[in-house]
Amino acid sequence: MRDAKDTDEDAEADGLRKIIHVDMDAFFASVEQRDDPELRGKPVAVGGSGGRGVVAAASYEARKFGVRSAMPSVTARRLCPDLIFVRHRFDAYKEASQQIRAIFHHYTDLVEPLSIDEAFLDVTADRLGIGSATRVAELVRQEIRAKTRLTASAGVSYNKFLAKLASDQNKPDGLCVIRPGEGARFVQSLPIRRFHGVGPKGAEKMAKLGIATGADLAARDIAFLREHFGSFADYLYRAARGIDLRPVRTNRIRKSLGGERTFSEDISAGPALRETLDNIVDIVWERIERAEAKGRTVTLKMKYTDFRIVSRAKSLPNNVADKSEFARVGHALLEELLPLPLPIRLMGLTLSNLEHESGQEEERPDDAQLSLL
Amino acid sequence: MKATIERATLLRSLGHVQSVVERRNTIPILSNVLIEAGEGGAVKVMATDLDLQVVETMPAASVDTPGAITVSAHLLFDIARKLPEGTQVSLEVADNRMTVKAGRSRFQLPTLPRDDFPVIVEGDLPTSFELPAKVLAELIDRTRFAISTEETRYYLNGIFFHVADDDKPVLKAAATDGHRLARYTIDQPDGADGMPDVIVPRKAVAELRKLLEEALDGNVEIDLSASKIRFTLGGEGGVVLTSKLIDGTFPDYSRVIPTGNDKLLKLDPRSFFEGVDRVATIATEKTRAVKMGLDTDKVTLTVTSPDNGTAAEELPADYKADGFEIGFNATYLKDILSQIDNDTVELHLADAGAPTLIRKDEKSPALYVLMPMRV
Repeated sequence: MRDAKDTDEDAEADGLRKIIHVDMDAFFASVEQRDDPELRGKPVAVGGSGGRGVVAAASYEARKFGVRSAMPSVTARRLCPDLIFVRHRFDAYKEASQQIRAIFHHYTDLVEPLSIDEAFLDVTADRLGIGSATRVAELVRQEIRAKTRLTASAGVSYNKFLAKLASDQNKPDGLCVIRPGEGARFVQSLPIRRFHGVGPKGAEKMAKLGIATGADLAARDIAFLREHFGSFADYLYRAARGIDLRPVRTNRIRKSLGGERTFSEDISAGPALRETLDNIVDIVWERIERAEAKGRTVTLKMKYTDFRIVSRAKSLPNNVADKSEFARVGHALLEELLPLPLPIRLMGLTLSNLEHESGQEEERPDDAQLSLL
Repeated sequence: MKATIERATLLRSLGHVQSVVERRNTIPILSNVLIEAGEGGAVKVMATDLDLQVVETMPAASVDTPGAITVSAHLLFDIARKLPEGTQVSLEVADNRMTVKAGRSRFQLPTLPRDDFPVIVEGDLPTSFELPAKVLAELIDRTRFAISTEETRYYLNGIFFHVADDDKPVLKAAATDGHRLARYTIDQPDGADGMPDVIVPRKAVAELRKLLEEALDGNVEIDLSASKIRFTLGGEGGVVLTSKLIDGTFPDYSRVIPTGNDKLLKLDPRSFFEGVDRVATIATEKTRAVKMGLDTDKVTLTVTSPDNGTAAEELPADYKADGFEIGFNATYLKDILSQIDNDTVELHLADAGAPTLIRKDEKSPALYVLMPMRV
């Protein structure tokens, strides 16, 4: 596996990128403090204050008392008796979010929004000729402050994984740069929980295996990681070395639409499988309608209890016309596989070969279609 | 809160509102439906995505304790769907949980407080008029296929409504994606005079159309301002859909509607549609162009694909002008032809690079403009 590692590092060195992760500081709470001077400098929680409310966001003043988002309001008030609760105003947050997006797009078209208040920017191309990604990050932060009167933290590095870790480093209103060559060292000292994708359960499992930090993780070989973490291993192996080859993705053009379910109990009986499939059809078809997507290939995927994956696909001559046709094809694919050799733990159904209703997907190489407006 | 509702009534109302709720939400309460049981024995359900909200009032079998709460819209809908027909469903809230009971089933669902549920502030809606639901449905059906999905031109992501004085006062609905345009014109309803130009977003159009399907015999009350629009179906106790309008300027589309196209082609829209569909079979995704060769009283459709060979079909038609060739996107052409419910369709052409006007006849309220492809 040494080869794989060397290739990764080469790949990263070959196309050295400049990635910025921008994250607004205590976004909802900051918008409230901006709009109501009375709230500034005070511990503020956005969310319901009633007996059953939950904190949606907490200002930094409130965080000092240990108030966190998703905490019951009652607990928050106990931690911080002076905590001021305000109702959320989604419109205001959305407006600020749109302003921020517009600022990002001034510097680059390669913007990948992660949520209402954070995004990745790929500024390798340096459209405005600013000369340094760190300088771009500073300008973005300044412009956000000037236009929205809110603060943002930014992380600058050569991949998304490191940029996100960096933005978290000097919060709030901070900037952190991880330069080429520094990534591996930076990651070594991190507690494992700060790795994106490692939740409480994952951290617990790693603790049992004696992995507490990035350095512990880097000390394990890929075979060990594959044995314990399956398909997650490759990501962990790279992350522990500060390597991440994922590109910044703008609104991707969808190639397929689907959904899958993992069951709490394994299923093998025909009736249960059919019912499960009906459920998945419901969920996936709704997504298809919502996206106004049309496609002619249906793929059924199942994962057996031994983690082997089997999939069967069928392409129709025309687009799948409606939900009942979608269900019919899905069921035909399922029946072909019955009886199953083993129970399954996951089932998924996907529509691909997509063509969108408006014909927008036909991004023609030449501009043969003439324009009306 | 405690109320009991007939399962079919609950399912129908939840069905109306739940599709507004996005499956994935960064803001948890947006996954929920607001349920409000009133003193008078009516239960209100409401769903929102912040840009669009749908509220429906349904009769309850009984309201024991008035109150309001929010629970997952899709969960409650799925539960209502699977409950046995004819059962009475009891909804009761205690200790941050909602207990749903029907027959032998019992569910306990997590809730979020109603005070956190965002409601669209309608403000003053000074313009009010009524339209028969059938007319509104037709107007949507004839135009919505042309709505753009391109987010960079957000002002095209909806149907544009405006009033005008042609020979008489009219209300026009138009949609375009920059390649084709659809417009539908009706007599101006009372009360619409002087209304602001508005763009109703695609999702609101889609949800409204679904609601109209169940209320085609009635009238729809429409109230609007320059920023919000409200559709009320089924009067008191019916369904109310309120949407924000797209904040942008719809382009002056009238200038792209050709007036001097002198080459008139008339033919049967159904055989035209089928012919286009047949020859387009071999078109690859990237070159979906169908070439039309026009000669006296006939049209030859051809498709040439680098991978799949060629296809041709000859159709009888009524055509007297000079022969020429023009190309169109097969899908766009089919979209428009499928709107024509008549034995003939008129295509008014100028040349291979100019917009083509398509309509049933000159009296038709619907009009389409299609831009050709270079072939």
